[in-house]
Amino acid sequence: MQFDLSDDQRLLRESTRSFLAAEAPLEKTRRAMEDDPRGIEAGLWHKLAEMGFLGLLLPPAVGGQGLGAVELAVVLEEAGRVCLPGPLLDVIVAAAVLADAGGHEPLLREIAAGASRVVVARADAPFAGAVQSQTIFSDGRVRGTKYFVPFAPAADALVVTTPSGPCLVRGPFALTPTPTLDQAQRFATVTLDHPASLLGPPALLTRSDRLAAVGASAMLLGLMSRAFEMSHGYAQTREAFRRPIGSFQVIQHKLADMLLRLESTRSAVYRAAWCVDANDDATALACASAKAYAGDAGRFVCGEAIQIHGGIGFTWELELHWYFKRTKTLEQHYGSTEEQLELALSALGY
Amino acid sequence: MDLHLEPAHLAFREEVRAWLRANLPRPWRECLRDPAATEDSLMALRRRWQRTLYTAGYLGMDWPAAWGGRGATEVEKAILEAELAAADAPPILNLLGISLLGPALIHHATEAQRRRFLPPMLAADEIWCQGFSEPGAGSDLAALKTSAVLDGDHFVVNGQKVWTTFGPWADWIFALVRTDPKDRYGGISFLLIKLDTPGVTVRPLRQITGESEFGEIFFEDARVPRENLVGQIGEGWRIAMTVLMYERGAASLGHAERFGRDILQLAAALRRHGRLAGAAREKVARLLVENEVMRANGLRTLANFAAGKVPGPESSIEKIYWSEFDRRFRETALDLLGPGGQLARTSPGALPDVDWAREFLWARAGTIYAGSSEVQRNIISKRVLGLPQA
Repeated sequence: MQFDLSDDQRLLRESTRSFLAAEAPLEKTRRAMEDDPRGIEAGLWHKLAEMGFLGLLLPPAVGGQGLGAVELAVVLEEAGRVCLPGPLLDVIVAAAVLADAGGHEPLLREIAAGASRVVVARADAPFAGAVQSQTIFSDGRVRGTKYFVPFAPAADALVVTTPSGPCLVRGPFALTPTPTLDQAQRFATVTLDHPASLLGPPALLTRSDRLAAVGASAMLLGLMSRAFEMSHGYAQTREAFRRPIGSFQVIQHKLADMLLRLESTRSAVYRAAWCVDANDDATALACASAKAYAGDAGRFVCGEAIQIHGGIGFTWELELHWYFKRTKTLEQHYGSTEEQLELALSALGY
Repeated sequence: MDLHLEPAHLAFREEVRAWLRANLPRPWRECLRDPAATEDSLMALRRRWQRTLYTAGYLGMDWPAAWGGRGATEVEKAILEAELAAADAPPILNLLGISLLGPALIHHATEAQRRRFLPPMLAADEIWCQGFSEPGAGSDLAALKTSAVLDGDHFVVNGQKVWTTFGPWADWIFALVRTDPKDRYGGISFLLIKLDTPGVTVRPLRQITGESEFGEIFFEDARVPRENLVGQIGEGWRIAMTVLMYERGAASLGHAERFGRDILQLAAALRRHGRLAGAAREKVARLLVENEVMRANGLRTLANFAAGKVPGPESSIEKIYWSEFDRRFRETALDLLGPGGQLARTSPGALPDVDWAREFLWARAGTIYAGSSEVQRNIISKRVLGLPQA
């Protein structure tokens, strides 16, 4: 029994961290976040493929690494630390659906190589609550409208959820970009009337939904780790009243509360990831809890980070706002907090 | 990363479960709501239960066998505690003796002291209370003033201890006393005092719950043999601080079992009352989530123990988490249950499975005892985050 990463997992963490530090620091990626229609520079996307991140969970037979949820958490935590732009998690999750469906080896090979981008189109309404329009699969076609399709302008194909089950739909798509408060996102509303193939029943998504929850929680963990480190450092150098602000108990206790949420998120995320890999009885509850908690914790930690930084924390110049905004995006997607709370209840028969 | 228990630990857990099925007379919550129960009868029950555990070899889990322990590890101890919580076993009576004084004696006492004090502590033949806090020394523990002046082969003790948990039920107190008024930390010593010593007076204090689990203790020229000093004169602070480190264990796992059961009772009661919808439903779900994250914290600590890692000051995070969550949970429960949640356990109509009113009040203690939430945040700031001190 050990909570620490294995030697291989630690190596993966180190190589991911040094790769991202060299290739994807925010000062390099923020231009693409602001301007690139795909949200991520093409060269960086291909390097992510070369590193094996896109095929992380896919079998070696299609060029994947055959790794599990713990490794997914390791990579996404590091991606969160640099606030990596682009649809890394979206593509990993869509590939997991296709892999679970079986029979899509050529497409999976392209995904792993970075040649095709597939993401999941899930939302049937722009606002929480009533479904705006149900996307239907019938007669070999998918018809309807999907909202908040992540990085849709760069997607070659979509995994579209329908009441019949997830369907694979190939582009091109008629789409309307829907910018949000997080300028790094490339969400769009996609209107579908396309030939499609049914990938399986709705339950086919169970595993990939959990992987999405683990991956998003891990990214939240990375985002809040970095926001916490920035605040911890700032509190020791910024002076007010002739003292470092970190010597004031009110700031110390803020940082202690941030650390509490950060470390508790770490416990929850890696436990959930392990549960997925071990097919543990607690998997459903552990994944739902990790995502719901990480969403709240991320908002809290990044929000307090802005507060500790004061005026500079409210600027576009300081990188903190990218972290703050991304936590908000992650909180609402990959199974929103509200959806995860329902999953937690249903895992216990409520 | 591997959260599977080793086969030997799994076997131990099965053994404990089977033993509890055969030996636990009834769940603690049933003892508490027994109309015939009194504070005395419940303390007597806790003493009997402690003896049952001791006889079966389930006390002093991680203590060497030479002094009555089992010679196992923190892992078995944490597994046992989680199983005791899951089965809703009564708390033992000598809680503070075993969790705090025991480790202090094992690490700092003489062999003669260990042989003298540890076995009767485990057997509940001698009950211990903790004499740290004073009227003028709570979170600022080193401000304590109770003095001990050496006079031949005795210390003469004068002063007062307060919030002394188990004071009214104890035979002995382990006390921090001041042996040098000029040295704030180095002037503190660790002394074992028998409560029937002339000059020692114990008075019960009534708590917020109406119970008198704690009390206050007065010392007026009480003569204590020098051989009851633990460690050297002036080592008391160091011993106390290391002792507080042992208090932790993987406590979150046990709490997650107990709270988890109570949350499900809350959900069931709300469903019966047609109230598990809307805002109430969301609140219950959030409790489940927070409890599950607490369990994850406990599993992490347990796994770290199993890998031979001793928790450092970051265990303050666990203390803040469980004690503040306990408070939020009990407050939420009373909000959702309505006035019925405030019924005393003896009231007609009180919910049978959880004494919600008592739990609500009792939850106020956890964020104060064993280092308040504020002290824990100071510990994190200083020892984990290394922030500059004012």
